[in-house]
Amino acid sequence: MSDAVATPDTGTLPGPGARVERARLGRQWIALIAAAVLFVALYPVFSDDLYYQNMIILSMVFAVGAVGLNIITGYAGYVSLGQGAFLGLGAYVVGLGSTKVGGSPWIWIPAAGAVAAVLAAFLGVVAMRARGHSFVILTIAFLFLLQILATNWDSLTNGTGGITLPLPTWSVDYQYWPFYYSLMALVALSVLMAWWIRRNKFGMGLIAIREDEDKAATVGVNTRVYKILAFAASAVLVGMAGGVYGYYLTFIDPLGMFNILLSVQILLSLLLGGRATLWGPVLGAFIVEPLNEVANNDFGGGNARLLIFGGLLALVVLFMPRGIIPTVRRWLDALSRRGRAGLVGERLDGRIELPKREAPGARAAPAEAALLLELKGLEKRFGGLRAVAGASLSVPAGSITALIGPNGSGKTTLFNLVDGTMTPNAGEVWFDGRRIDGKQPWSRAHLGIGRTFQITRLFRDMTVLENVVAPLRSFRLGQLTADAVTGAEAQRAEELLEFVGMAKYRDQPCSDLSFGQQKLVELAQVLMLDPKLIMLDEPAGGINPTLIERIGEMIRELNARGKTFLIVEHNMPFVLGLCDPVLVLARGATIARGTPDEVQRDPAVLDAYLGEDFRIEQPVRA
Amino acid sequence: MTEFLQALILGLLIGGVYALLAAGLTLIFGVMNVINIAHGAFLILAAFLTWTLWDAAGVDPLAAIVVTAPVMFAFGWLLYVTTVGRIRKAPPASTVLLTFGLALVIEGLMGLIWGNTSHSVRPSYFNQSFNIGELFLPKAQVYGGIVALVVLSGLYLVLTRTWLGRAIRASAVNPQGAELVGVNVGAVAAMTFAIGVGSAGAGGAIASVLYPFLPGSHYQWIARLLGIIVLGGMGSLPGAAVGALALGVAETMTVTYIGPEWATAVPYVFVFVVLLLRPQGLLGTRLREDVAKA
Repeated sequence: MSDAVATPDTGTLPGPGARVERARLGRQWIALIAAAVLFVALYPVFSDDLYYQNMIILSMVFAVGAVGLNIITGYAGYVSLGQGAFLGLGAYVVGLGSTKVGGSPWIWIPAAGAVAAVLAAFLGVVAMRARGHSFVILTIAFLFLLQILATNWDSLTNGTGGITLPLPTWSVDYQYWPFYYSLMALVALSVLMAWWIRRNKFGMGLIAIREDEDKAATVGVNTRVYKILAFAASAVLVGMAGGVYGYYLTFIDPLGMFNILLSVQILLSLLLGGRATLWGPVLGAFIVEPLNEVANNDFGGGNARLLIFGGLLALVVLFMPRGIIPTVRRWLDALSRRGRAGLVGERLDGRIELPKREAPGARAAPAEAALLLELKGLEKRFGGLRAVAGASLSVPAGSITALIGPNGSGKTTLFNLVDGTMTPNAGEVWFDGRRIDGKQPWSRAHLGIGRTFQITRLFRDMTVLENVVAPLRSFRLGQLTADAVTGAEAQRAEELLEFVGMAKYRDQPCSDLSFGQQKLVELAQVLMLDPKLIMLDEPAGGINPTLIERIGEMIRELNARGKTFLIVEHNMPFVLGLCDPVLVLARGATIARGTPDEVQRDPAVLDAYLGEDFRIEQPVRA
Repeated sequence: MTEFLQALILGLLIGGVYALLAAGLTLIFGVMNVINIAHGAFLILAAFLTWTLWDAAGVDPLAAIVVTAPVMFAFGWLLYVTTVGRIRKAPPASTVLLTFGLALVIEGLMGLIWGNTSHSVRPSYFNQSFNIGELFLPKAQVYGGIVALVVLSGLYLVLTRTWLGRAIRASAVNPQGAELVGVNVGAVAAMTFAIGVGSAGAGGAIASVLYPFLPGSHYQWIARLLGIIVLGGMGSLPGAAVGALALGVAETMTVTYIGPEWATAVPYVFVFVVLLLRPQGLLGTRLREDVAKA
């Protein structure tokens, strides 16, 4: 229930005994969590020890921060060192609101959440163009920029002097209860939100982004909106927790609130507990915050905190990068599956019959076929290299068109220009009567372009079924909250897996598949988009002859059912037996087009493949 | 006008020192694809070493480079072998977190050894300046800028004129290709990391005269250096030089015309603006990202 990628009991792999075993573990796990929650909920009732109440309150503040961070770091794969900024931001909203405008600090808590969410969304907009390293740098810059603003904007924030909030007005008999329970509610809400996101389309899209962002866009995931919403979701409750935190401390200053060590503690909580797990960040926070107290009280704070958190961060990265919960889970899994052979590695025994279908009607392509895809003077430069140099070509609707050419002639770049992974320097791309070269990759996928990759790019941490279900044929906001895998989708995905002969593997993680099997799954994945045009990048490359034959049959059958194909391939017998027309690309431009026979005899094509001097007798030139 | 010229020249002088420090950072990034967040901590460590040499033995801070650079070089090599090198092929986020963890540990250790108070190194020429017309140029900045330029030139010669330099550049451009022609990329990465940290050793000695420092100053420094390499284009040495001069001038201009308290914000603004408008930086190139890494 709280796994990296929900691993439903893999019915096929570990066998029924293991399933029972796992269900038992699952129940124990739930019981453990329930006991921990109950303990925390009742603690202040049974004990009036303020030292521990304080420790739990701070742990809960970090827990909200870490569960929020999990949405962008754990699910979407964007590591942030600026998560603490949203705590500070929330505290400042509450502090400024209640002192400058008036009212109880409590009524400003929702505003704190809203401000945090808006700024996080802005960060998401900047992050549209910054990945990996750049993004981490950006988050550090974000945090320190807020600190400088809070320090220098004296007239608003009172600078380093800070803001002092009114003391709580309730009876001292209630101790810290209002802080305690409101934070507990925020932790509960955070976990609930993370759980809900993970189980619907939104979460699935975020995981696809983590696994391979460009690929996610080519299968129709609107990565831009997903990321912006994920950032907002990761900050909204953190801003509110920051507001409670500020009120609890009753003193807010730039150095304390925008201290990078807060961000480090939040990140460490997530890493230690286990990213992309549901309870990992909470567990981590309840380990890290007590350590913080120990460092402060027993070792004099400051330098000890730095040594403990810096050292722990390095150790976790070096020795336990997955975190506690996934590591423990793996041990248990390894125990329960010991001695059982996997499915993977099973061989194709000769010809596998494709499922029989009713005979297709007349071929979809009419006599003078309309053009489904048309490229006009397309150009793409990498520095001084013109990878695609004024390529013009067209793909008739209903055809199986081949695109061949020597290595480095620009075939894959051309694919990237058509599916929107890259933008051309010049030229036009027309698809189904529309000009699409300005459109985002996901819009092109929605219009009906599907594409596979030369080196397969499946989402490695997802199962086969999840991979096939991941593509989206349209984008609506409402869709985000739909179940990750609806019944209808699962059924369609299973049909497609059946079609490519991979139905048995539906619950296997994709990282366990062979290269050929991955090609089949990627084909099923693309078919899920129900595209008009299917672009295959070397479908027969690097796989065994039996499988090549099978893929050829599938292409024919799909074509008979109306799909148009554009295929890049080096296996000439495969291409020449399957495709018509054949286009030849050399040095970034099309040099020939025709039936397989015509192209085979074209001297320009021979030149391009073999060089001009392959003929012993050079034709005499004028 | 004088005010402007003054700010410009001071900016270029300090920019020269930044260039040396950013060169080490961008070199490490180019070869190893690792953003070394601990670079700021390394240079503050070198500044403290310089301070101790100056305080205890009266060694001139700029002459202290002959000690700090080799010591930091060795320290860098040791750190690489024990920690950083172990995750050379891990995803970028892990290496950032590891070097960040190292930075915190070094900050904590410096606090224990030297205390969390502001230090500065004050050689005899600390308060003197050259006066040219209405301009006055503090001697420390002039000497510092010149020494930085000398060290940077040395670094440039190593990179362009030696076998090691060629191996480093080859490993940066194409690690697999470098390995095929007999370059031990792992060993080259260790040398690169050590050279980068060694250059922080030299730069830290110079910086110790220019700004007061305490263990926590490393955040401000790493912010500057990140701003520089983001602006110049990550992994590009000429980009680092251009970015460093630009940042130096932008800082002095901010101090002169807006207010000294906003100077610290300049690198962060650089980061935001560059990543919004031109993510590959001034002299960086956009890498092909369509080929999935195995």
